[in-house]
Amino acid sequence: MRRRAIVWSVLSSGVVLAAGWQLGYESATPTSTTATDAAGTSSTPETSAGSSTATSTTAPSTTTAPSTTTAPATTAPLASTAPTGVSGTFTGSGVSTRYGSVQVQIVVADGSITDVVALKLTDDDNRSVSISNRAAPVLRKEVLSAQSAKVQSVSGATYTSDGYLTSLQSALDQAGL
Amino acid sequence: MSTHVFATMGTTASIRFAGESPAQSVLDALEEGFAGFDARFSLYRADSELSRLARGELALPKASEVVRASYVEALHWRSVTHDTFTPHRPDGVIDLTGIVKAQAMAAAVLLLRANGTADWLLNVGGDVVINGSNSGEPWRLGIVDPDDRLHLLCAIALDPGRTALASSGTAERGEHVWRSRSESAYRQVTVVADDIITADVWATAILAGGPSTLDLAVDEHGVDVIAVDTGGRVTASERMRRADGFAAL
Repeated sequence: MRRRAIVWSVLSSGVVLAAGWQLGYESATPTSTTATDAAGTSSTPETSAGSSTATSTTAPSTTTAPSTTTAPATTAPLASTAPTGVSGTFTGSGVSTRYGSVQVQIVVADGSITDVVALKLTDDDNRSVSISNRAAPVLRKEVLSAQSAKVQSVSGATYTSDGYLTSLQSALDQAGL
Repeated sequence: MSTHVFATMGTTASIRFAGESPAQSVLDALEEGFAGFDARFSLYRADSELSRLARGELALPKASEVVRASYVEALHWRSVTHDTFTPHRPDGVIDLTGIVKAQAMAAAVLLLRANGTADWLLNVGGDVVINGSNSGEPWRLGIVDPDDRLHLLCAIALDPGRTALASSGTAERGEHVWRSRSESAYRQVTVVADDIITADVWATAILAGGPSTLDLAVDEHGVDVIAVDTGGRVTASERMRRADGFAAL
């Protein structure tokens, strides 16, 4: 049971980007991967580079924290002090952790991290570990607020017969869309 | 387009046909199939085979072939999920609730295929399996926001090769999953897979086992996951993040 987290900073035009990278186990709180115009933080850095501080989430400076989120949110510094629209691929230097060495590449589009790839990862025995399709946190602003999305059916926590009556699924079934 | 809705297994099933409805006899057989699974496997029915097993009136080797096959499949999944999915209640009773609905849905898929019914979507209590398309368009599914069940978190188009989507959560029926730890990171887990049993079992296992089980499912078993944790944060696997329905980043 192991966990690993990488926090690194990419300095580009005064922009600091950081992504948390959680590998492994024994985690009650997920590592947040966030990118903002001005700052990024990780909830559980094992090692850190740059000047990131550990908090749960960071709200992008361009939006407010989602009202449905109960996790603490800090506000990024004023957008006026940070350039926007940074795009490109950034490769972090290798970071040595308790669990081995990791090098991480991120793809940034318009100031947001869109992809995180572990380029090199070795475990305690120096064996290479391959990571693909790794699940990573996403910000709610990144998923469509799909009220207007045309869907034929919905899925969520299993509903009872009574729960069905007040569900979106019931409305969809009645509408027959 | 027609929709057929019926109650079964303590929840509601709805099946939508993009084209012509099948014959009434097919719909009747579909309902009877679910009713048969429920009568045999429900622990809410004192006369079910599982209740008799639980009371010790029936020994497992004497159980019907369908019950033994279900149990064997559940044991297989217990191994695959590193014991986060289990057919054993803490008190030792065999409880196949976690897999029997998906098994009934898988049987329904075979029934509809055998009858040549194409282009349908079956939703049982929020677990979905599709066949074909919706008049040439992919079937599109919304994932409910656990913080507001009348709101969608995102929408995903299923393609004909990846036909199943299942969710497990704590919002509607309370804590119906036996957790392997005192607390789980997730309150809703949705899994997309090639078949409904795979999707449903992993959804339950990840809800029970947390992030390490999510990583196991995504890294080694090729499923896709979107999960909402107790803080409202969303985690999604790479393909899921690229899915139709996510805002362009």
